Amino acid sequence: MDAALLEQMLLGALLALSVYLPLRCGQLSLATPGFYAVGGYVAALLSTRVAAFAGSGATSPLWALVAEMVLGGILAGLIALAIGGPVLQLRGIYLAIATIALVEILRVLNLNLPFTGGAMGIFAIPQPFEQADGYVLFTLVLLALACWLCQRLEVLRLGRAMAAIRDDELAAASVGIDTPRTKLIAFVASAVLAGVTGALAAHFLNAWNARAGSFDASITTLAFVVFGGSRYWLGPVLGGLVLTALPELLRPVGDLRLILFGSVILLGPLFFPQGLVTAERLRGLGALLGRAPQAP
Amino acid sequence: MSVGGLQRVGTGLLTLTLLLAGCASDPGDQPVALAGGVPVGAVLALTGNANVYGQDQKVGLELALQQRNTSGGINGRPLTLALEDSGSDEPGANAAFTLQINRGVLALVGPTLSQQAFSADPIAQRRGVPVVAPSNTADGIPEIGFFISRVSASSAVIAPMAIAQALKMQPGLKRAAVFYAQDDAYSTAETTIFQASLKEKGLEPVTVQRTQLNDQDFQNQISAALREKPDLIVVSLQAVDGGNLIRQLRELGYRGLIVAGNGMNTPNIYPICQKYCDGLLIAQAYSPELDTPANAAFLKAFKAAKGGAIPPQLTAQAYTALQVIGEALVRLDKRQPLAGAPLAAARKQLMQEILAGTYATPLGEIRFTPEGEVIQSQFSVAQVRMDPGGRSGRFALLK
Repeated sequence: MDAALLEQMLLGALLALSVYLPLRCGQLSLATPGFYAVGGYVAALLSTRVAAFAGSGATSPLWALVAEMVLGGILAGLIALAIGGPVLQLRGIYLAIATIALVEILRVLNLNLPFTGGAMGIFAIPQPFEQADGYVLFTLVLLALACWLCQRLEVLRLGRAMAAIRDDELAAASVGIDTPRTKLIAFVASAVLAGVTGALAAHFLNAWNARAGSFDASITTLAFVVFGGSRYWLGPVLGGLVLTALPELLRPVGDLRLILFGSVILLGPLFFPQGLVTAERLRGLGALLGRAPQAP
Repeated sequence: MSVGGLQRVGTGLLTLTLLLAGCASDPGDQPVALAGGVPVGAVLALTGNANVYGQDQKVGLELALQQRNTSGGINGRPLTLALEDSGSDEPGANAAFTLQINRGVLALVGPTLSQQAFSADPIAQRRGVPVVAPSNTADGIPEIGFFISRVSASSAVIAPMAIAQALKMQPGLKRAAVFYAQDDAYSTAETTIFQASLKEKGLEPVTVQRTQLNDQDFQNQISAALREKPDLIVVSLQAVDGGNLIRQLRELGYRGLIVAGNGMNTPNIYPICQKYCDGLLIAQAYSPELDTPANAAFLKAFKAAKGGAIPPQLTAQAYTALQVIGEALVRLDKRQPLAGAPLAAARKQLMQEILAGTYATPLGEIRFTPEGEVIQSQFSVAQVRMDPGGRSGRFALLK
């Protein structure tokens, strides 16, 4: 395996975390690829059209990448903030349908806006790193930061409020949790993370077009979370890493690889309905490693 | 277990996964690995919606490999071809390109789609690996860099010929309708050229209908177009959606001429539009009737492998791409033996050799511009003729 595949896996893990955040308070949102595409377009446009961001045209400065990620995240977050209010009044499958529609609207917009390059998209995006290793290191830091924030949620009031809404929204509201606000925070955080990831991915993929944010991508990112488990942040991270790597790792089996890949996705939820990572399994693993002295 | 404990286990697992993932080193500074033969790679769309093209191309590569190795390989060493599937998307093409480059291949054939090329070719360019594209027709592909070339003529060259042919067949054409998939790079690039060519010939399109790559039902667009009473329909769509559109066009009563772009230039459209494919006009960068020894050898090999069928353009172009690399390798190895040469240097010299040569191929005699754009002189226009049963047909060349 090489650094480029590792980078793909890390991007997959980040997107999985973006799907996990709304799920953490019980909201099934499939909007992640839409925000991912928006972030990517911000980076692609800035680094190909604005001289300061473009650097030499082949290599761009690192600060420009960071700035694009911040701007991509902010734009995605603002879109989420604007539409989050009405959309989050929907629940369950209706919310999922609304977010699919959002992805579709963004995709058609991206195809038809005068500056996004149509179906061809934007290409010749300059590189902030000479080799994939640079991306891996940078993304690893970003993923670690995202994981740390998710871990903090386990103890923060916000995180506990999210968990309470997931378990029973009515009960959560009755004990004084501001449920609309909490859900909106989760939705916006998810959008920001997807936007930031998109800005990074646009550079890594050299070219960016509307296919980045399609319905197919929505389902793929959802599969990461279903496969890995949605209760604890490690689940989506593991799901994102494994499911992105698997089609590539299965190359030696030749034509069967996609059949095998499909079987894994099918068998995963069948045998592990809660996903690969659950609190019980983590506890068991902790005991096995002799690292869990405290009682729960 | 406490939160801290969970955190430790989580971090541990994450680190473990990443360690397992590991890292591979770049083989560029090592000598060319010639143990199993002279390594060349190909990346084709064998799955996803572009697989109909990849399958045609695979046949061409296999025949070219066989041809090279039965006529002495690379000065006695066999040429070996590692084929990888890119799927029909960009991340897949990137992963397959990287994998091939890390394997230490001297050159790459691929990827199938222009959209994939814009994403994957820069990787080869940065790592200094020659790429000969067998089917990318969008503008700007050879311009990606020194290491990127193609044997597939740009749609700017080919597309206008089919329009000219339609006007030759029916000089009175007045009302052209245009269809293209707005979410497909090939389609949007080609339709621009088609529309410009129509205007140039005084045939301002009466309607331009936009579809989506994954659409199957085109009734709305077709009804809207037929209201304009077109006498020529120009379609820039890929094989699957294009085939369905043509079928529905005919079913809804359109009887006029249809010009299709390079996306439908494959016999794999027969099962999709069946008897309704009949009469379709498609410009060709390859003519099976070309009377040269190179084409005769290709035809013979294809007929032996496929039992008498006529090779499609994509197969001929893929064959040509590998033939070009093979011949350039033979010349390079004679001038400067590959054995012991550092891989990075050999790749660079190979690219120079590819660009410098002239090749007698099934497509006719071809050369490259210094940028890597193909220079080809023979083109033709074919009309699809379906058998009465509608199961099979052929591309009949028009004079």
